[in-house]
Amino acid sequence: MKKVNFSKWMMWVTALYLILPLVLTFLYSFSSEWINVLPTGFTFKYYMQILPRQDFYMSLARTLLICVLTIVLAGILMLLAMYVVTVYHPKFDKYLQILCMIPYALQGIIIAISILTLYSGAKGLFGSRIIMLVGTYCIIILPYMYQGIRNALRAVSARELIEAAQILGCTRFYAFFRIIVPNILSGIIISSMLSMGIIFGDFVVVNVIAGSSYQTASMFLYKTMAQSGQATSVVIVVMFIITLILSTIAFKLRNKTH
Amino acid sequence: MAYITFENINKTFDTNHVLKDIQLEVEQGELVTLLGPSGCGKSTLLRCLAGLETVDSGIISLNSEDITHRPTSDREIGMVFQQYSLFPNMTVEQNIGFGLKMKKLPKEIIKEKTQNIIKLVHLEGKEKHVPSQLSGGQQQRVALARAIVTEPKVLLLDEPLSAIDAQLRRVLQIEIRKIQRQLNMTTIFVTHDQDEAMIMSDRIHLFNAGKIEQSGIPVELYTHPKTKFVASFIGQYNIIKASDLSELIEESFTKETIAIRPEVIQIATKEMPQNNETLQIQGKIIDLISRGNILRYHIEVSRNIILKVDTLFRTHSLFDLEQRVWLNIEKRNIIALD
Amino acid sequence: MALVPLAGVLLFYLIIPLFNLILKSFLKEGQLVFTLEYYVSVFTKKYYIGAIINSVLIAIISATIGMFIALFAANAANHATAKSKNKFLSILNMTSNFSGIPLAFAYIILLGNTGILVVLGKKLGIEALAHFNVYTITGLIITYVYFQIPLATLLLIPTFEGLRKEWREASQILKASSFQYWIHIGIPILLPSIFSTLSVLFANALAAYATAYALLANNVSLLPIRISEMFVGDVYQRPGLGSALSVIMMLLMVIAVYINQYLLKKVRGGGAR
Repeated sequence: MKKVNFSKWMMWVTALYLILPLVLTFLYSFSSEWINVLPTGFTFKYYMQILPRQDFYMSLARTLLICVLTIVLAGILMLLAMYVVTVYHPKFDKYLQILCMIPYALQGIIIAISILTLYSGAKGLFGSRIIMLVGTYCIIILPYMYQGIRNALRAVSARELIEAAQILGCTRFYAFFRIIVPNILSGIIISSMLSMGIIFGDFVVVNVIAGSSYQTASMFLYKTMAQSGQATSVVIVVMFIITLILSTIAFKLRNKTH
Repeated sequence: MAYITFENINKTFDTNHVLKDIQLEVEQGELVTLLGPSGCGKSTLLRCLAGLETVDSGIISLNSEDITHRPTSDREIGMVFQQYSLFPNMTVEQNIGFGLKMKKLPKEIIKEKTQNIIKLVHLEGKEKHVPSQLSGGQQQRVALARAIVTEPKVLLLDEPLSAIDAQLRRVLQIEIRKIQRQLNMTTIFVTHDQDEAMIMSDRIHLFNAGKIEQSGIPVELYTHPKTKFVASFIGQYNIIKASDLSELIEESFTKETIAIRPEVIQIATKEMPQNNETLQIQGKIIDLISRGNILRYHIEVSRNIILKVDTLFRTHSLFDLEQRVWLNIEKRNIIALD
Repeated sequence: MALVPLAGVLLFYLIIPLFNLILKSFLKEGQLVFTLEYYVSVFTKKYYIGAIINSVLIAIISATIGMFIALFAANAANHATAKSKNKFLSILNMTSNFSGIPLAFAYIILLGNTGILVVLGKKLGIEALAHFNVYTITGLIITYVYFQIPLATLLLIPTFEGLRKEWREASQILKASSFQYWIHIGIPILLPSIFSTLSVLFANALAAYATAYALLANNVSLLPIRISEMFVGDVYQRPGLGSALSVIMMLLMVIAVYINQYLLKKVRGGGAR
């Protein structure tokens, strides 16, 4: 049918348009020189330039450290809060939702700037760039952690399970953390993977808050951009593959639970 | 003192006064049903006994102890929920053994008790299955086993069979009753299905808008309803205004409304011998409905009164539509309602 | 109670910083004196008004174009087989992550000074391509549209799924043309989603930093970049002015949401249902 053909065409054209820059960047990372329509040749030399570099791995490691710290922190905070809301004060959920969705509306730049003005130059722990980074990212991923955990709790009917566990003789704390949490683990992991992807690819927060004092992957990328085009695309390719792996894990998990 | 007592129980949700001064007693070993339409408070009373809701005022006693303010996990109660609430990440064995684990019983004892109860509810072979692999009926049996394996003082069932199809429900009703009798387990059952209440209970308490309208053994409730609400909830009573009936036959009645069961009215094609104990009226059959084993006639006896009359269906209807018939009713079967 | 840790983080890293920012926009730097001078500056100096107008324009245009394409894409996806649709969804998910510096870089490869399409344009004599300058507002809009498309499509596909095909069939039986179906039934039902997605797209583009940073250096004045300049970097810092600009950005996003709600009420109240 004509309708179906147009639809298919529309879909694949869009898909193609979206994939094109990705493919180009990938090809560029292998090209020796590309100032005409086609590259002059293919080479691995830029991979050889970037991959063995220690500062490249250090930047990836720093990013990973921030990711892990933030996600573990945010996860624990959110679970504790959801424990209280689910078991004791279901009416608070409304307020928690509003608070957690504010970062989603404000976006990175405002949050980063507001934290920077307040804490830069502060004494002690609050003034540490790493603490500021973790704090900022925590706030930024809060909406995703909240949604993921809340939906998972709904899906397992957390309140009813806790009642049943109570009748059988355990405390609500035990019920929440030993029965409910194992059952929403996949939801937690999906949110964590999503958050990791966001933190990994972020540039605005780290540029505003840490500048070049704490070089994460994005900062490394920006630095490389000034040096060489092909080298830049190598870094992009590596970063993209990492993000892809993360979201594939999340995707597979989501399909498994359904 | 009765095994379980509720004294002056009041409960309000926001502005909704859900339980109004409830007084109720349950003897040990009884199966008592809290019956009533949605929102009448029966589930709330059950949950108060379980400790899942707090009472605003009143005292709940179990085995002569005041448990009104005791935390849920200390009440030694077993409960089966409408949605089963089985723990999804645990096997049948683990679900059933959970309460025993909470009591910190040794592993061998847990294993033994679990195995015994699995036999009792006929779930052999399913020990290692997880709830998602079981049918609705099987899940409900796991829920039941989980509730009784801890040998609680009282078993609470909150509309446990509402989500199950009719055929299976009848089987489970009988099973639950059998197990309850076997274990002599004091049980409180909540349902909105009056057939279910009639089948399973030693006593029924019929709730209406936060109050107990009538209590009694099933037969008693069925044959002697006290109010219009009870008569319309239980059975298929003909409920008519006494004044309308008085017009037809020169009798007066003590109350404004009267009720007559469809199955106590006799139909005949001609006048039957009368005496002081019976009433006779004439009517015309305007409808005839077959309900499987019962034939129901709708008979118009006056402008305001259409009576439902039930007979057992043997081979065929003895009467036809539009036929004029005589109805014979024993006076003792005419019940005056408040 | 267990709420304390989360409350603490929210307080120290969201609420207090925001209040501080808003406060700072009204206080003379380093003093406790109330002043409106920063706001006056913003609205009188061309430098800042330009940034605001540019950002808003780019946000609106890229959101609209992105939405337009997404509407067709989402509709197309719902008419596809389950397998194709899933593949398409994976592609959308994958490319929605591709934003910021990598995206800017990819478009430089394509449309930069020695970009592939530019060289192609020179060779084939296509003027528009040959002289295309990606380091302008137009270039930025085109780049922004790239990340608006997956976001908008992913948000719209569920809504299109809600358009039951029975409604289409019913309208066909009642002899409505495709166009009429969309005007009277399809679009009105989609409208709430369209508005809320437009809001999201607008906020997304307004606050976009990395892409702009990588692409523009200082060619085009944009709000997020101006804001960050006030707080970070070698040029001397002007937190008061920066805070005022930030407050204005927040207001813009809030206004977008309110316009969204307002339009929604008009559509609903106007008897679209």
